[in-house]
Amino acid sequence: MRLNQWLAAGCVVAVTIGLSACSSTSSGSSSSGTSAGTTSAPAVSNLVVETSFVLKTVDPARMFEPTGLMIDHVLYDTLLTYKGSNVSTPVPDLATSYTASADAKTYTFTLRQGVKFANGDPVTASDVVFSLMRTKNINGNPSFLMAGITATAPSANTVVLTSSTPNTAIPAILTNPALGIVDQSKVVAAGGSDAANAATADKAEASLNTTSEGSGPYTLTSFSTTTQVVLTANPNYWGPKPKYGKIIIRNVEASIQKLDVLRGESQIAVDLSPTQAQGMSGVQIVNGASPNLFFLLTNDNPKVSKVTSNPKFQEAVRDGINYASLVQLAGTGAVQATGIIPTMFLGSLPTGSGATYNLTQAKADLAASGVGHPTLNLVYPSDIQVNGISFGTLAARVQQDLQQVGINVQLQGQSIQVALNSYRGGQEAMGLWYWGPDFPDPADYLNFLPGALVGLRAGWVKGADPSLEALGNTASGTTQNSTRETLYQQILRSMNTSSPFMPLIQPAQILVGATSLKNLQSNALWLVDLSELG
Amino acid sequence: MTVSARAPLDPLGTADAVTRRRRLRPVTPVPWRRPLALTGLAVIGAWVVVAIFAPLIAPDNPLAQKFTILAGPSAANWFGTDELGRDVFSRVLFGARITLPLAVILIVSAMIIGAVLGGIAGFFGGWVDNVIMRLADLVFAFPGIILALAIAAALGPQLRNAVIAVVFVSWPSYARLVRSLVLSARSAQYVVASRLLGSSGLRVLFVDIRPNAAGPVLVLAALDVGNAVLLLSGLSFLGLGAQPPTAEWGAMVAEGAQNFNDWWVGLFPGLAILTVVLAFNFIGDSLRDMLDPRTARAVRI
Amino acid sequence: MSSASVTEPAVPRPRTGARHRDLRRFLLQRLGTGVVLLIGITLVAFVVTHLVPGDPAAANLGQRAIGDPAAVAAFRHQYGLDRPLPVQYVVYLKNLLHGNLGISEQSHRPVLTDLAEYIPASIELALFAIVLSTVVGVGLGVIAAVFSNRWPDNVIRVVSLAGVSMPIFWVALVAFYLLFFKLGWLPGGGRLDPTQNPPTHLTGLFTVDAAVHGQWALFWSALRHLVLPGLVLAIYTVGVLTRFTRASMLEIMGNDYVRAARLKGLPERVVILRHVLRPALVSIITVAGVAFGNLLSGTVLVENIFSWPGIGQYAYHSAINLDLPAIMGVSLFVALVYIVVNLVVDLLYGVIDPRIRLS
Repeated sequence: MRLNQWLAAGCVVAVTIGLSACSSTSSGSSSSGTSAGTTSAPAVSNLVVETSFVLKTVDPARMFEPTGLMIDHVLYDTLLTYKGSNVSTPVPDLATSYTASADAKTYTFTLRQGVKFANGDPVTASDVVFSLMRTKNINGNPSFLMAGITATAPSANTVVLTSSTPNTAIPAILTNPALGIVDQSKVVAAGGSDAANAATADKAEASLNTTSEGSGPYTLTSFSTTTQVVLTANPNYWGPKPKYGKIIIRNVEASIQKLDVLRGESQIAVDLSPTQAQGMSGVQIVNGASPNLFFLLTNDNPKVSKVTSNPKFQEAVRDGINYASLVQLAGTGAVQATGIIPTMFLGSLPTGSGATYNLTQAKADLAASGVGHPTLNLVYPSDIQVNGISFGTLAARVQQDLQQVGINVQLQGQSIQVALNSYRGGQEAMGLWYWGPDFPDPADYLNFLPGALVGLRAGWVKGADPSLEALGNTASGTTQNSTRETLYQQILRSMNTSSPFMPLIQPAQILVGATSLKNLQSNALWLVDLSELG
Repeated sequence: MTVSARAPLDPLGTADAVTRRRRLRPVTPVPWRRPLALTGLAVIGAWVVVAIFAPLIAPDNPLAQKFTILAGPSAANWFGTDELGRDVFSRVLFGARITLPLAVILIVSAMIIGAVLGGIAGFFGGWVDNVIMRLADLVFAFPGIILALAIAAALGPQLRNAVIAVVFVSWPSYARLVRSLVLSARSAQYVVASRLLGSSGLRVLFVDIRPNAAGPVLVLAALDVGNAVLLLSGLSFLGLGAQPPTAEWGAMVAEGAQNFNDWWVGLFPGLAILTVVLAFNFIGDSLRDMLDPRTARAVRI
Repeated sequence: MSSASVTEPAVPRPRTGARHRDLRRFLLQRLGTGVVLLIGITLVAFVVTHLVPGDPAAANLGQRAIGDPAAVAAFRHQYGLDRPLPVQYVVYLKNLLHGNLGISEQSHRPVLTDLAEYIPASIELALFAIVLSTVVGVGLGVIAAVFSNRWPDNVIRVVSLAGVSMPIFWVALVAFYLLFFKLGWLPGGGRLDPTQNPPTHLTGLFTVDAAVHGQWALFWSALRHLVLPGLVLAIYTVGVLTRFTRASMLEIMGNDYVRAARLKGLPERVVILRHVLRPALVSIITVAGVAFGNLLSGTVLVENIFSWPGIGQYAYHSAINLDLPAIMGVSLFVALVYIVVNLVVDLLYGVIDPRIRLS
């Protein structure tokens, strides 16, 4: 008996040693970016990108999540796009040029000649119209981008976009991968539709999640929302050939991404926070501010809270937050949000013009408000992270800061879908949230004005600040960029003096990559352009 | 996650213990013959002291974010600091104030609920027995963490709801045990005698059967405390139990998972959980050995 | 549920025909109970998931669409959320009978498809862990019983107690950090290397599929990736099985017939294996069966760390996102596994121990 047991144990040990021997010899040969003398086929070089998936679909008309944006950006072309990390000026992609009418209601685009889809079909204006109207009529997450906009194709080479209200953000909006151009004939054959009833009539999602029908530098090889997405280079791409023949995007936790990129199992880690990226050696770290903006809201509705709707109380909170310590908490590369518009967009305030921390003033404001030393609930989503930062971390620091002012904050972290309810219903006395831009244009931030989408979530109703609202109306109708810049900055200054919103920080957006990668740039809209890598 | 074999198997040998010893004296441990139990008691005793005197022992306020973020263990911070600059050592000490009392409350609640339901089921039999036992089977059919996960997610991520979830998942094992004990005791002569003397059902349950049932139930409880602690900290690890800034061990390990390189953030809270659960398991194991005559006999041969 | 007790006196075995009738009756009875249990579980899952204060529409529609009442109404209508609760439950049961588990609100695919994709990964992991833990656990338990009260026993006892005391999520982190990151002995997560394609599909268990199709590189890769998560999952079960084997064997070793076997002059190995271990297998198998179900639940805590695309991750994300059909689908599946395992264990009882064969 004893002998048998020892034999069995011996076998287990032998097998384990054998396995580890196998692993140590083959871990070195797992394909990396440089295909130098390894066992893989010389022609195809592979790139492994690791991110924590926020992904539901790669059907552009239904896609509006960070991972989906990164993937669809290289599967599909858009009329205009951005190069590298510059998100202030759109550049031509499928459209070579465009003109805008004076009232910002009509935009005319001239299409590039000779572009073909990956399957060989030519790209025509009707494909463009089909794709744009399909995204609009399917009523999915990205449909709001086309709100009030209609696309028509007066000729085989021209596409005209007409907006019912002046819309100065259209060039920025068109860069979004959700408005990527699909092959109309193939998508219709798969059950797709751009008709007014596309919400129920379109059945092409499953097909598009198996085979992409785009003209971008890559095509879809395999898709899963939980394990990995594999892309293969498009041999018929009309633009410069991408360097990597195959891209594997894996779904991995942020802390594990760090270990994997250090060990060379992956070449790019997308979701590391500054603290995680600190002190990493042997890799390149691309560090810039993210357009995601964390903010605090205090409800302006006296029915929700008599305390938070008190203007002096709001000032006390604004003056009582130690912004510098929050920036430090968020790590290198993070910046204080100077206003509700992130620093990289048109119309933002220059560095240093944001709210300043003044504890004495805050205490004076609190005393002047007459609310005494109130106790309030601070609601925030406890189970998601943005750019590696968890809301609970920020909330704890804010709680500590406000404690010094004399405001007693109770943290009320809830899971996202529960917290979203009270947030969207405008029922939170205090909330800690973030806004990720829908498109890289200041017009998106008019949502924070009284009576608008986010304004209402803070109980800021129409008529609460008439001069500010007038400014907003003027700004949304102005097409001249220099005038827009002045107007938006005025809006921000007004909001920084009195509003229920306290912009806190923009976290750092960090890309960690293997040193062999060239041209690794962080992009505010699609995180990283996988086709531009060298 | 309680692994319990089904009633007929009775791995604890507790039913036999009941039938062999009619009136069980409360068992007093014989520590000098049982090093494991002694170790367990010592460790738990130490943690209880820590839990009570944490405000005096801990070098810093567990909520104060005043140190350098993610600094390694040093003379100033024995266990290093976490990602908000708080002293990990103080947080581990204060964590005992959450885990220990909650685990005890949890087990006591599950024990009482389970024992009452099981006693009623065993004694009265019939459809009452059926209903209660089917309910217990239902809860058993869900492995602990998944049901606890669903309940905690449904009620909202809060420590209180995590406790409720774990209680809900734990009571069936007590119900089953007590039911089988009651069933075997029901036909015992002293119970029959008691009923002949005119005692009502409830009186028999509480006066005659309960002292005999107490031993095995307490053993199960002692063995179960460890599992309760694991389940509770598991829920906190998933984000469904203790919320920030509470210094709870499971939540602290989750924080450590965010920062693998800073191994001290997750290692020490996990060790704390391990020592507590291990100590409870030592005690429970020794208790069971003492109460189970057959194993005891085999051991002494 | 029919329950056979080891302590009841053995009854004379019925004749063959009656035995088969008993077996059929036993199976039918268990099947019946199983079905009732499953229905009960759907009820529990339904009630629990509808207690939630959150709104599934909010969770699954995304930031902008939720502001649009028409989109919300469409979502609610599509998933039947706008009908009264009892009606929703009845509709769910009706669909269940047709094999339709509903559409997952997060992935927009049938829940059955989702489950079919994630279950094999967890099953493979659980099977690996249970085989590993049974071999190691029973082996250690036998050693402990044979050397009872001497130093191997004491060491093993402490080790097994430590095994059941470790928080599995913590062990996963430590093991991952040490064995993957620091030492590089084992791969870090996923079922295969990133550049490898899965083997030709047969069962969904990569090791089995690769072996059947002779894709040996994939087989070894899949096996290597199983080791770390499997080891972590196995630790708890090894502890349980060791303690259990030891206890069962000691209990049996105290019996007279064992002493008689020794006095007959049988070699110790035969005594231990045939006369002690074999009867103990009854209880050991029960515990192993229950442990299998527990392993599935252990995956919830561990799959995230190892990027293992299985039921555990699915369950967690469904719970967080309030994906009601998915939660109910997972609950049903897990309960089904439990019931089937219990049934199999009961049948094995009968095979291994003639005394309790359907007495």
